[in-house]
Order: sequence, then structure tokens, then C-alpha cells
Amino acid sequence: MRDMIVSELMQAVHDLARGFAHYLPRLIVMVILALAGWLIAYVVKMILRSVLKLLRFDRLSENAGASQLLTKASLPSATEVVSRFVFWLTWLGFILLGVSVLGIMGLQDQITRFFLFLPHLFVAVLILFLGLLAASFFSRATLLAAVNANMPSARVLSLAVRSIITVFVFSVVFEELGLAEQTMLVAFGIVFGALMLGMAIAFGMGGRDLARRFLEERFVRDKDKKERDEDELSPL
Amino acid sequence: MEDETFLTDDFLRQLINVGEVDILVGLPTHNNARTVGSVVHTIRTCILRNFPRERAVIINADGGSRDGTTELVTGISIGDSRPTSDVYALRTLHSISTRYASTPRSGVALRTILAAAELLRAKACVVMSPDSENIQPEWISNLLRPIYYDGFDLVSPTYRRHKFDGLLMTNLLYPMVRALYGVRLREAYMPEFGFSGRLGNQFLGQNTWNDGTEGNGVELRFALAAITGKYRICQSFIGEKDPTERRGADLVPTLRQTVGVLFSALESDFSQWSSVTGSQAVPTQGTDQEILLNPLRVNRKRLHEMFSIGVAQLESVFQSILSPSTLAELHRISTLGEEAFRYPAELWVRTVYEFASSYQKSIINRDHIIQALAPLFRGRVFTFVVENRNGSAQDVVNNVESLCVEFERLKPYLLERWKSRE
Amino acid sequence: MPVDKDTLWYKDAIIYQVHVRTFHDSNGDGIGDFQGLEQKLDYIQELGVSAIWLMPFFPSPLRDDGYDIADYNTVHSSYGTLDDFQKVLESAHKRGIRIIIEMVLNHTSDQHPWFQEARSSQNNPRRDWYVWSDTDSGYKGTRIIFLDTEKSNWAWDPTSKSFYWHRFFSHQPDLNYDNPAVREQMWNVMKFWLEMGVDGFRLDAIPYLVEREGTNCENLPETHNILKDLRRRLEENFEGRMLLAEANQWPADLRPYFGDGDEFHMAFHFPLMPRMFMGLKLEDRKPITEILRQTPEIPPSCQWSLFLRNHDELTLEMVTDMERDYMYDMYAQNKTMRLNLGIRRRLAPLLNNDRRRIELLNGMLMSMPGTPIIYYGDEIGMGDNITLGDRNGVRTPMQWNGGWNAGFSTADPERLYAPIIHDPVYGYPAVNVVSQGESEHSLLHWMQRIIAVRRSTKVFGRGTIQFLYPANHRILAYLRQFGKETVLVVNNLSSTAQAVELDLRRYKGNILIEMFGDNIFPRVGELPYLLTLGPYQFYWFRLRRV
Repeated sequence: MRDMIVSELMQAVHDLARGFAHYLPRLIVMVILALAGWLIAYVVKMILRSVLKLLRFDRLSENAGASQLLTKASLPSATEVVSRFVFWLTWLGFILLGVSVLGIMGLQDQITRFFLFLPHLFVAVLILFLGLLAASFFSRATLLAAVNANMPSARVLSLAVRSIITVFVFSVVFEELGLAEQTMLVAFGIVFGALMLGMAIAFGMGGRDLARRFLEERFVRDKDKKERDEDELSPL
Repeated sequence: MEDETFLTDDFLRQLINVGEVDILVGLPTHNNARTVGSVVHTIRTCILRNFPRERAVIINADGGSRDGTTELVTGISIGDSRPTSDVYALRTLHSISTRYASTPRSGVALRTILAAAELLRAKACVVMSPDSENIQPEWISNLLRPIYYDGFDLVSPTYRRHKFDGLLMTNLLYPMVRALYGVRLREAYMPEFGFSGRLGNQFLGQNTWNDGTEGNGVELRFALAAITGKYRICQSFIGEKDPTERRGADLVPTLRQTVGVLFSALESDFSQWSSVTGSQAVPTQGTDQEILLNPLRVNRKRLHEMFSIGVAQLESVFQSILSPSTLAELHRISTLGEEAFRYPAELWVRTVYEFASSYQKSIINRDHIIQALAPLFRGRVFTFVVENRNGSAQDVVNNVESLCVEFERLKPYLLERWKSRE
Repeated sequence: MPVDKDTLWYKDAIIYQVHVRTFHDSNGDGIGDFQGLEQKLDYIQELGVSAIWLMPFFPSPLRDDGYDIADYNTVHSSYGTLDDFQKVLESAHKRGIRIIIEMVLNHTSDQHPWFQEARSSQNNPRRDWYVWSDTDSGYKGTRIIFLDTEKSNWAWDPTSKSFYWHRFFSHQPDLNYDNPAVREQMWNVMKFWLEMGVDGFRLDAIPYLVEREGTNCENLPETHNILKDLRRRLEENFEGRMLLAEANQWPADLRPYFGDGDEFHMAFHFPLMPRMFMGLKLEDRKPITEILRQTPEIPPSCQWSLFLRNHDELTLEMVTDMERDYMYDMYAQNKTMRLNLGIRRRLAPLLNNDRRRIELLNGMLMSMPGTPIIYYGDEIGMGDNITLGDRNGVRTPMQWNGGWNAGFSTADPERLYAPIIHDPVYGYPAVNVVSQGESEHSLLHWMQRIIAVRRSTKVFGRGTIQFLYPANHRILAYLRQFGKETVLVVNNLSSTAQAVELDLRRYKGNILIEMFGDNIFPRVGELPYLLTLGPYQFYWFRLRRV
């Protein structure tokens, strides 16, 4: 009896050892990959940080208004955030690669799905970033143009422009990430449509004078305008 | 030699027929039929009277006129193929025209004129404005003589002007060029000026014409190039400034062409202007400036309004551009009523310098920075108008002078901001 | 070959202007003479000219280089005898060369027997042969021609205690053409020479024959009548002879001297000449085309006489003040060179001895409408001596060789009527006929060549002229046409190479044949004809349709 248990035990240990020995190389490979991954990720982070510093990425994100968001969320500067994000992503990638080497069945698919998802993630982040940049740029452009044309409620106009673009950007991002696509699309459509309608009404009623002035300037020269202009000084 | 393919074949053929010249008069035009006739007559009189023995040519760079402008210009030529019995001339005088585009662009027009001057090896050149109806032949020759006989390279104009005319020049461009570049050039933005072939060739060659701006603001760039290239510069009085329609609505494009150009030039010229201290007077023919004092109606309310609204609405923009102390000060004065409002010289200088350094760092889009300056400039105009409302010509001169001194005094401030956060 | 019988010979002629005194001395007295001239007729024939214009050779005190005549019916003893002259005439005719002599109608020398008689008393029969007055206030406003020497057109005669009229030097009293006796006598003088065989007269100073109060005393109708009368008599009695007018006037004022073909055959085109020099310096054809445009049409039998230089100063009377100042500054910076509103320099020195410019101007001379006159010595590019007074600087001895007195005379150099030019550039060792004859590409050979080309066609002497006005103002281009012949002349007035496009559409299909080399040039097509020319270069093209 004792012999049977011993031999069974021996057999089990054997199997275990064998199984272990079977997996050990892969485990070692996984560890190596993980370590290498860390190293590479670190290097990549360093390079990326330098590149971003060179590109004045912080400035850019300030323009985009992203920096304000980050500080509000008590996060470090944009360069840092991006570098670290890339670091973790790279390392995670290598770890997952290592795990995939282990050959555990169910995990394979998930890992593959994860890697397939990455491009979308990058694109989404890029769209978000550029989108926020554009929103900031156009809203500022609108603001300045409106102020210099002596239009009332210039800030409102600028905010409207920023909102529209931001909403649009977010909807594209969500679509890209594949999150609640339909919902987002519809929601965007509603919001956008409502905004547009509202602005149309507002402009239509409030902008009558402006439109008239615009047309007059283009096609008619009348005394009022001349008088108005005569009060203006020539800068040069 | 510059890439000359942008000159049309026909124009080149005409240039071959003109051959080498001593005097070249450049005339950029676009639908100026109302005034250009008398301008070219004056040019011709000047040449026949003051340079009868010299070989001369009039080069018309036209931006797509449809009202017969070019015919008026070329009709002034003197030659034997078309005898003009009413005019006596020792030599043939060519007057040729080329269409450089179908829309006017001053940069391309000047480039055409400079290219022609280089090919024709002109010694002394002058660019005229087609609107200057009231210019006299002697004044045109005043722009040419220092170049042709005395070896100067640039003759900048000085004008007779109303005290409230050209405030962008007197309150920003003139003091800033004076303080930074060290040259007291009254009209750094020159719609008409004389220049030597030497300077023209250098400007043609070095200037990047293909950088997408189509040579915008060349009128100012030319003067700056002459200053940084250490060329010999002088000024000459040429009467009243041509009465272009006064439209305050054109302020933003004007700012782009002047302040924008100046700010970007500061970047490339940094090594020159950073080491300059003080300023030198420029030899002047005739009077330095003449100030008219006739009463003028100015919409002061609107100026003040646009300033206050601007400061209020553009808060977010100014936060990026200006220092906190300057911005706070602006807020303070914007709360003052029209009666009490004053935009003091020192604050204005600081504002301008902070704008310049923000521009250099591209804190936000550069064009936006320029646009943001407009309401602040209006505030400054308001103050200037109020301060000089009852002033004599000498008072105005003194006020401008003290503003210049302020610009010069605060130059280290600009340098400090420029170098920080590099 | 002997002279032909063509009555319009002067239209095809090329005239060589020479002074007997300056050409060749045969008897060693230091002064050129007729026998000397006769010995050099071969040279003149080889040059290719068809007529010689002899400057005044009459007896004279020589205070105006022979234009002050003391005897109209013989020759000055220094130059030989009347027989010597006759021999020259015959020799020349045998060679096919015509002889044109001077005839000074307007005035005589004060040494002339007529004047000696006229001044002797107020009652002398010849008194009325000259223009006398008790005061010097008559004919006020009449311009003075020799500004540098004369202060008035009236001179005081101490013998007869009255003033006499003189448009030139005070020793050249004007004859009174209101007197029929004077007119008859002068015709007889002309008849004398015509009967000897002379082919034509250059009538000197003819605008001034008649004076009238209240006028400028120039170009008066009475003067024209007298001239027409002379011409009529000439036609009646001496066919094929020619009258050449010397009248320094604007072309419009010159026109009347041609009448309706019943006055002068030829006249000098004075205003063109300074403008050719001016156009060259300006590098602009405008002065030249303008004066020719202002030149009126002349009767078909008449002809302009063209020249670059002559024995007088390059006159700047017929230009504006601005033009005169320009010419002075460009061509006569040294004030010694200026005289009487003109410049007293020869052709070569005026052009700085630039061979190309000399060729260009000669090319224009030979191709413009008119009869060209070559001043002796200019065919070898002789220089001048401005230290000699008056206009004598351009009347120095002809330089034949590099030897004794340049081959002009065997006399001692001190005995020569004028010193020979001997500076390093224009001196006779450098510039002379013999050495140029030996050099294939000398100016002399070139002149012979261009004269030959000119004579090969009648188009230059008889044809019409039509200017092309290419946009390049440095190019002077024109078409000469006579009968079926058309010649295109293109001149580059600039010191730099030029390109020019000519509008020859009317001559589409013609091949251009360059007349000096007889090479063909491209055919004229639809497009403007492009030519390139080197500095001061010119082309003569025959247009030929095959």
C-alpha cells in the first residue's frame, strides 16, 4: 500500500516535474520576455519623452486645452502622461506576448483580441487629441474674428463652435472604440441638430441687422456707412 | 540669379528690347485708372526734367486691372514709332506692363519689379504708388537722387500728415523699429520708396518668396532688410500721403502686414537687434515730418467700446499671451469709464513687447496673436487722440518722442522675456 | 572707263572731298598742287569713288582757306596753272571720275580787284557790286555765323568811310545780288569753268545771297529766284552738270532750294550728321529717325548729299540746346575742340579710333538715302591737330607712307603748309596709305569693299526708304527699295551685343542674302525675324524671292 502511494506520488511528482519541465522553458521565455519588454518599454519611454519634448508637445497640448484637463485631474504634464502610457502599454504587450507563449488556450484569443484592439485605441487617442486641438483653435479664431468685427456675444459664438466640434470629436472617438456606436451617433445627431437649429433661429432673428449690414457693405454704398467710416482713422 | 520662370515670355521679350537702364520706376497697379494717368505723367516729367540723359524705364506690374490702367501706363512711353510731338526728349523712354496675376498681391508685384531691375541692371530704382495723385516731380526725383548720385541704398519717404493719421506707425511701428533696430526710420512701412540696384538684388535673392505668404508685407520687410544689411539709408519728404479710403475695419489685415511681419522678422533678425542700444537718426532731405492740425471727427466712443469689450471677451486668449501683471492692469483700466480711461505709454510698451515674445514662442497660433492685438491698439489710439486733442504740432512730436524713449527704455524687458523659457 | 552720259549720275555717285593743298605736293614747295593730285588719281580710282569735290583753289589771300576768292578765272599759283587743272580734269574723266568744284557766290575776298575798285570811292562804277551803308544798324537781328571771331555783320571801311556787309569774316565782303551786273558776271564765271569741262559746282553759302530789311536775311525768295535763273541757264547750255547747295538749315527750310526740280540738284543734309553721332553715343536711334521723318520729300530728280565729316567743324547749329550740351560733353570735353557752335575734330578721333564705330557710321553713310561724301583721309582713319587754329586741325597733309613727310612732299618739314600728324596713334608711321594697302584687313581695304558693294546696286542712291521700328531702340533698321530690288539694313548703335525682332511680314517668303559675304540667311516667315548683332555691327541684306 505504501509502495503504491509512494509510486503514485512519485508518478505525480514525476508528472508534475515533467509538466513543469515542459512549461519551464516557456516560463523562462515568458520571464525573459517580460524583462526584455520592461527594458524596451523603458527605452521607448525615454525616446518618446525626448521626441515629445523636442516637438514641444506640452505647448501643443496647452493649445488644445488638454493640459488644463490633466491638471484638474492631478495628472502630470502631457508628455509625462503619454510617455508613461506608452511605457505601460509596451510592457503589457510584451508580458502578454510572454503569456501567449505559455500556450494557455483560452488566453490566446483574448490576447489576440487585445492586440487587435490596440490600433483602434491609438487612433482614438489621436483623434481625441487632434480634435480637441482643432476645437480650441477654431473656437479661438471665431472669438477673435467676432470681437474684431464688433459682434455682440462673441464669447457665446466661440463656445458654440467649441462645443460642436468637441461633441463631434467625442462621437467619432466612441465610434472608433466601438463603444455604444449607435447610441453615440444618435446622441450626436440630436445634440448637433438641436444646436444648429438653435443657432439658426438665434442668428436669423438676431442676425438680421448683421446680415443687412453685410449685404449693404457689399452692394450698396450709403451715407450712413460713409459717415460711420469717416469716423474711423487710417492706421497707416 | 533668381528663378526667373515666373516672368512671362512676353514680358521678357519686352525687357530685352528695353536693355540696360540707369533709372527704373516700378508701378504696381490694380484698377487705378482714376489716378494713374496723372501719376505717370508726373513720373515722365520728373525723368525728362531731372534725368534727361539717363536711360529710364517704367515697369508696370499689374494685378489684373480691367479698367484700362495698363493702357494709361504704357501710353506714356516716348519713342520714334509713335511720335509724340508735344513732348521733347533726348532719348527713347520705355513704359512696359506685365500682368503678374489676376488678383493683386503686393509681394508678387514687388518681386516682378525687382526681377526686372536685376535683369536690366538698373542703378537707381523707385517704387511708386499709383494713388499718389498729388505728388510733384521734384519729390520723385528726391527719392532717386540720393541713390543715383550720392550712393545711398534706400530712400524712405516722409509725409505731411494729419496728427491722427497713421497712428499704427507712430505708436507702434516707428518706435519699435527705432528701439529694436536702432534706426529712426519714420515710415518703415513704405508704399513708395527709392532703392539701389544693389539692395534690390540682395533682397530679391535672399528673401524666401516661396514660403507661402506670397511675400506679404514686403513694404516693411524691405526696410528691415536694408537696416539689417547695414545699407545706407536716408529719408526724403514727398508731400501728402495718398488719401486711401479710411476704413477702420481694415485694421486686422493691416496688422498682419505690419506687426505680424515685424514680429516674425524679429526672430530671424535676433542677432542684429539684440545687440543694438539707442538709436541713430537717418539723414533726411526736406522735412522729417509735417503735421496737419485741422479738426477731425473721431468716433472715440467706438474706440473705447471696442477696447473694453475686447479685454472682456478675449480674457482666455490674453491669459496665454500676456503676463499676469499686465493683464491685471488692462482689466483695471478697462473698468474705467470713457472720461477717465487712459492707456499709458509704459503699459502699451509692455503690452506690445509681451505680444512680441509670445509671438516668437508661438504660445498660440501666431495669426491669433496678431488678431488679439487689434482691440488693445484701439484703446491706445483712444488715449493718443485724447492726449493730443488740443495739442500743437510740437506737442504731438514731443508725445511721440517720449513714447519712443519708453520703447527704448523697456527694450531689456523684451530681451528678458524673449530669452526666458527657451 | 570714261564718264557716262547719265544726267542723273549724281544720284549714284560717291564723292571724295579733297583740298588740292593738302593732298600731294609735286614740286617740293610744301604745298599740295594739281600735278600732285593728278599723280594720285590712280589711288582715288582704286578707292572706288566716282567724283571728286575740290575745295577752292582760286587765287586768294587764304585768310579763310580759299573761300575768300580774289580772282575767279584762274587757279592759285601755289597749286599750279590753269593748264595743270585742265590736265587733272581730263585725267579724271578718262578714269570715269567727275570733278566738282567750289563756287563762292555770296562774297569775295577784300583783295579782289572788284572790291578794291568798289571801296576806292563812293562813285566808283563797281560801288554797287557790294552792300554799303553809312550806319551799321541795318538788317538788325541777323545772326552772326562766325561767333568766335566776328562781333557784327557790318565792317567799317576806312577808305570809303562807310560800312560794308559781310556774313562771314570781315575780310569777305558780300556781293550785292540786287545788282544785275553782279548776277550776269557770276554766271559768266560759272560758264568759264563749265566750258572747261567741270561737272558740277558746290555753291557755298547760298542762303545769304540777298538781304532785306525786316527779315533774317536768309533763304529769301529773291535768293531763290536768282538760283532758279542760274539753273535754267545751266540746263539750257550744259546738260548733265550738277549744282550742290551748301545751306546749313533745317530740312523744311532746305526744301525750297530744290524748287520743283528747277533749282539745285543736290543739297547737304546738315541736320542728320550730328544726330548720327548723337544716336551713337545715346545708343538710341530716336534722333536719327526723327530727323529723317521730318525731312520733306524732294523732287524725283533731286538728291540729298550725306556726309560724316568735312573740312568745317561738326556743326551743332541745327540741334537743341540740350542736345548741344550733350554732344559737347560726349565728344568735346576739351573746350579747345569747340568752335563756332561745333566740334572741330576728324572722324576717327571723334570715335576714339574705334574701328567698329568707324565702320558702322560709314555703313550708315553708304546705306541711307542720298549721295555719300567721303572726306579725304577718313578712308584711312587720319587724326587731327587741334592746336592748329580755326578749322585747320582737320586739314592736315594726306599721309601716304611712313617716310619723309609721310610721302606728301619732298620739302623740308618746316616748309609744309601745315605740320603732319605724328602722334603715336594717328601719326603717319601708323596711319598711311601704303601700310594700309599692304594690310589685308585695313580700314582702307574695308572702305574699298563697302564702296564696291554700294556701287553694285542702284537701290542705295535712288531707292525709297522705309523705317522699321523694332521695340529695341538701339537698333536702326530700314528697307531700301528701287524697282524690284529691296535691301534690308540693320544697324546696332549699341556698344553691347543686341537681339532684335523685326516685323517683316510684308516680305514673307523672302530669303535674306547678306551682301558682304553673299551668304543666305533664314527665310522670312510668319513670326518676327530674330537677328542678333555684335557691338556696333550692321547687316545689309538683299531680299530675294526664289
